[in-house]
Amino acid sequence: MFSLKPTAFAVSITMLAGAPVLAADPSLDLVAPLADYKIYVAENTAQLVADTDAFVEAIKSGDLETAKALYAPTRTSYEKVEPIAELFSDLDVTIDARADDYEHAEADPNFTGFHRIEYALWVEDDTAAAVPFAERLMADVTDLDARINALTFPPDVVVAGAATLMEEVAATKISGEEDRYSGTDLWDFEANFAGAKKIYALLRPLITDDAAFIEKTDGNFDEVDEVLAKYREGEGFKHYEALTDDDRAFLSSRVNTLAEDLSMLPGKLGLS
Amino acid sequence: MNLPRRHLMIGLAGLAGTAATYARAETPLTSDAPKGHVDTAVQRVPFYGPHQAGVTTPRPEAGIMAAFDVVVRDVDGLEDMLRRLTERGATLTAGGPVPERDPNLPPADSGILGDNITPDNLTMTVSLGASLFDKLEGLDRLRPRQLQRMVEFPNDALVPANCHGDLSIQFSANLPDTAMHALRDIVKNMSDALVLRWMQEGNVPPVLPAADGTTPSARNFLGFRDGSANPDSNDADLMRNVVWVQDGAEPAWATGGTYQVVRVIRNFVERWDRARLSEQEAIIGRRKMSGAPLDQPDANEHTVPDYTAGDHTPMDAHIRMANPRGPDADKHLILRRPFNYSNGIASNGQLDQGLLFICYQADMELGFLTVQNRLNGEPLEEYIKPVGGGYFFTLPGVANAGDYLGSALIMAARQS
Repeated sequence: MFSLKPTAFAVSITMLAGAPVLAADPSLDLVAPLADYKIYVAENTAQLVADTDAFVEAIKSGDLETAKALYAPTRTSYEKVEPIAELFSDLDVTIDARADDYEHAEADPNFTGFHRIEYALWVEDDTAAAVPFAERLMADVTDLDARINALTFPPDVVVAGAATLMEEVAATKISGEEDRYSGTDLWDFEANFAGAKKIYALLRPLITDDAAFIEKTDGNFDEVDEVLAKYREGEGFKHYEALTDDDRAFLSSRVNTLAEDLSMLPGKLGLS
Repeated sequence: MNLPRRHLMIGLAGLAGTAATYARAETPLTSDAPKGHVDTAVQRVPFYGPHQAGVTTPRPEAGIMAAFDVVVRDVDGLEDMLRRLTERGATLTAGGPVPERDPNLPPADSGILGDNITPDNLTMTVSLGASLFDKLEGLDRLRPRQLQRMVEFPNDALVPANCHGDLSIQFSANLPDTAMHALRDIVKNMSDALVLRWMQEGNVPPVLPAADGTTPSARNFLGFRDGSANPDSNDADLMRNVVWVQDGAEPAWATGGTYQVVRVIRNFVERWDRARLSEQEAIIGRRKMSGAPLDQPDANEHTVPDYTAGDHTPMDAHIRMANPRGPDADKHLILRRPFNYSNGIASNGQLDQGLLFICYQADMELGFLTVQNRLNGEPLEEYIKPVGGGYFFTLPGVANAGDYLGSALIMAARQS
């Protein structure tokens, strides 16, 4: 049957010899996990709306310190559900684009959302500069919440979402470029990670034939948790710069291995 | 349309030519790939032996030097990593069909070489950095005696992100895609243990044979032939002295290995190209086109310079400082295996290119360190700047299919 070996060649051989992992209609097995996941996402987008409301209020009232303190925790509920949120690519751009996404970087008038506000708060040091972007963000997350509540979740997107979140971490959080003005990358890291873990936890009972995969993946999730725990501070995390080179390399290895292994999930669960 | 008659005739002739060429299938189209060569594609460098391949084996056109952080907790983890790395090296250098997988899974292979991996002269040479011996318990006492973190020489401007590493892999192959395919395979299959730290691609330009049938040394990006004075890599006795660590000199596990020095040396080519030819030749100590030493300008690059015969070669010429040809010259020989590199442009708009210097020697102190210390302050420094690299110890070879890279090191680590 299907067992994950260290080498790709070994995997291929066992896979070709293997039988289909699930019963004829994989979607039946996914009904319950998908329903649970929809609730998880709805809770997070509701939280996002509530947190954004407080964040925007702080900006409008000119309270720079409170606004800065609320920036990272407000983002976490977005980062947790990113595989679903980014289905609405128009909103993903206006909510979460980074300066690199624009040729003129921070000066680009189309640069909006969390990171434009982050730039206003940490670099421009100016809540007034952030107000128009804050108002736009409020409208966008409210819109996102409504759209997600009306959405039928595509099973393949949810199942692939665990790997998608690890790819997010590997591509932008490990390097500290996501929240470059505030240094709050580890908050995002943990949120992406929690979102991936949620999907994995919901699907884990369906993987009945591959104890090695479960053991390895459980172990990698645990090891990431252990390293992140070293950087917890207050309700959240230390500045990205606190991350040591050794821990960064270790996290990078685990995140990339999780991305490799979780990319097998859709196939393992019989999705095509 | 009223074309002059001559143009019309040329046009018709052109059309006729086009029709004729369409009929001949072997005439390539715009979209056809450049023609590959079966004879070079099937070239295979033996993976097993007392030494790793990629050191004294011929240097093919494409090279990648990649340095990794090793993320393992203990000697068991290191053994597991080295065994898997050995398996990948043996598989990739042998070539063969790419394994098939359920199409609902990500493919096992990047596919950039198609469904059949051609060996294409691929070698993967694995070496360990000093930091690995620091970080793993029980390994420090087994560190090769001269293995240290790369030091900064006076002319260096090292960029931290392009330096050092726990492990290096030198990929060499006939074609750049073959080397890149191997790197992609390692990154994909070894992600739990190896984290890419920096890498540098390079190439050696193929050189047409000389009239006498010999192949001259390739040119570096300064336009000079590079490697003229390299020791003969086919002379096994010489290689034993110059390159391979012998019994007694190092911890026993290291016999058959060698020290690898990697230096990413930027060349300021715009400025160099504006230097007078006579100055360039005085700085290097050779004629630019032929490579002949300045005291024998009509000889060839392999002629040994004679520094006793007049003052043709400046005392501070690169080749003279590197090797003054004194009585102890043989003690300080190194085997150079460099590639040229080009990385686009620097922030000042100048070309970012230079030499991916790689050399091997049995004794770091007598070899690279002595030579580089002699070169400190050379006039060439105005045109070059070392910006990255690292020192590594190339593991002894893999004896056979039952062996693995570093097996002697692992066994020694287990004997407390």
